[in-house]
Amino acid sequence: MQSNDELKLVLLIASIAMLMMAFFVIAFVMYYQKKRFEEEKRINDIEKNYNRLLLDTALNSEETERRRIAQDLHDDIGTMLSLTKLSLNQLSKLVTNSGDEKEESIMKKSQSLVEETILHVRRITRDLVPTTLERFGLMEAIEEFIHKLEEDNNLVIAFHSDTEEFPRQGQKLELTLYRIMQELVNNAIKHASCTKIDIVLEIDEEMIGLRVTDNGVGFDPEKIKESNLAGLGLLGIESRLAIVNGTVQYEQPAKGGSSAIARIPVNPASGNKPEPLHPFRRERVNI
Amino acid sequence: MLESYFSYIIRQPVISAPVFLNLLPILLIWRKRAYNDKLLLILFVYLLLKLGVDLVMFDLASHRKNNVVYYNVSIPIRYVLTSWMYYYEFDSKLHRRWVLASWPLFVAFSMWDAIHTNPLMSDIHNHNVVLYSATIESLLMLFWIMLYFYNTIRALKIPNLLSYPFFWICSGLLLYYSSFIFIAPVLHYAAKWDQWMDIGTLDYIPYVFESVSLILFSIGIAQYRDKSYAK
Repeated sequence: MQSNDELKLVLLIASIAMLMMAFFVIAFVMYYQKKRFEEEKRINDIEKNYNRLLLDTALNSEETERRRIAQDLHDDIGTMLSLTKLSLNQLSKLVTNSGDEKEESIMKKSQSLVEETILHVRRITRDLVPTTLERFGLMEAIEEFIHKLEEDNNLVIAFHSDTEEFPRQGQKLELTLYRIMQELVNNAIKHASCTKIDIVLEIDEEMIGLRVTDNGVGFDPEKIKESNLAGLGLLGIESRLAIVNGTVQYEQPAKGGSSAIARIPVNPASGNKPEPLHPFRRERVNI
Repeated sequence: MLESYFSYIIRQPVISAPVFLNLLPILLIWRKRAYNDKLLLILFVYLLLKLGVDLVMFDLASHRKNNVVYYNVSIPIRYVLTSWMYYYEFDSKLHRRWVLASWPLFVAFSMWDAIHTNPLMSDIHNHNVVLYSATIESLLMLFWIMLYFYNTIRALKIPNLLSYPFFWICSGLLLYYSSFIFIAPVLHYAAKWDQWMDIGTLDYIPYVFESVSLILFSIGIAQYRDKSYAK
């Protein structure tokens, strides 16, 4: 009888121990799974931030390099061209006095070539560093960009904004929007065979939207991404947007062509207005 | 007839409870159409068979007849159906093969065990509970459950375990088999028709955890969302 009771007690203890282990296993699986997910999320966040930092640094370096080239062009080549122009002017007077028409003609041609080169250098410098953007803001920079494009190409570019006075945004944000606009418009000209481009800039309390629509052949962004044809253009847009928490969406309007909408959270320029960037000043860009 | 049933329920409420609790997950699977999912379809079939066997055993028990033969027969069926769910859930081909290989081996073993324990199979009145099968079944099931949990925490495929039906089903099975593993071999010696040995509370522990496991199954099935259920 006693051994029977002992057996029951042993079995009861064993069963309770087994059940406790079962409860422990269930609790452990739940806890460990949760911990592993948190850890995984943390690592992902670190990786994401690191990639973002890398991108940011790469873009900063790109802007610094653009500025350096613009500066060298202006300070060195620009100065030398101006001096060449002056010398040619002096030489031109001597040639005119000598009365040789052939020499005079060559002289005028040389002067004209130098002036044209000076203009080219100025244009390249302006393209490299958007000084209008830094001085006057996004709307003026886009208008200037359109004006230059319309001169060189046979197409109509329309620009609308839902506000008269577009509030100034942080330098990085304005530059990002400007570069994206540049990329989208250049893509439309290069690949879409379009005759008309619409650029719309919208702003509300939270977001800034930039929409570029063309009436060209259109494209399927998913197919381009799948076939690894995204190229540097679309990837560059996404990389720039990733840094400022922006998004881009591509659409194919029913009437044809293509449309790209970039959205970026508003980031008004801080009270301490940064010193305007000048392409001809040697300094590091901190966008 | 009803009177004998009610009388048995009043006398043995703990033993009777899981018989009727079987209806809860069955109705939930039916109502949520969870049988569209292969895994829950297996659970549905298992629960329907279990309900059938439990009702027959309940009827025989309430009429004071030996029902052990149904219990012995249900062991290999129960094992094949419950381990089949793991066959579907395991990603590793090797683990799947292990489950597959265990079926014929366990069925053959439980048949041998039933014959070995009851040499005179036609004597239903003195039919005894199998000696090893229930314990081996518990060991195998605990192994599959632990292997599944190990794979789950390694693979990190399920973001929220609490909203994943099979996690609840596993927890229910783990609790049931943990409660049963040490008691199963004792039943062979204790549950004899003419030499009944009272094991007290131990007799009720598996029934209590059978009810708990059915409730956990029901919680799991309640988490089922037709489109979001992913392997």
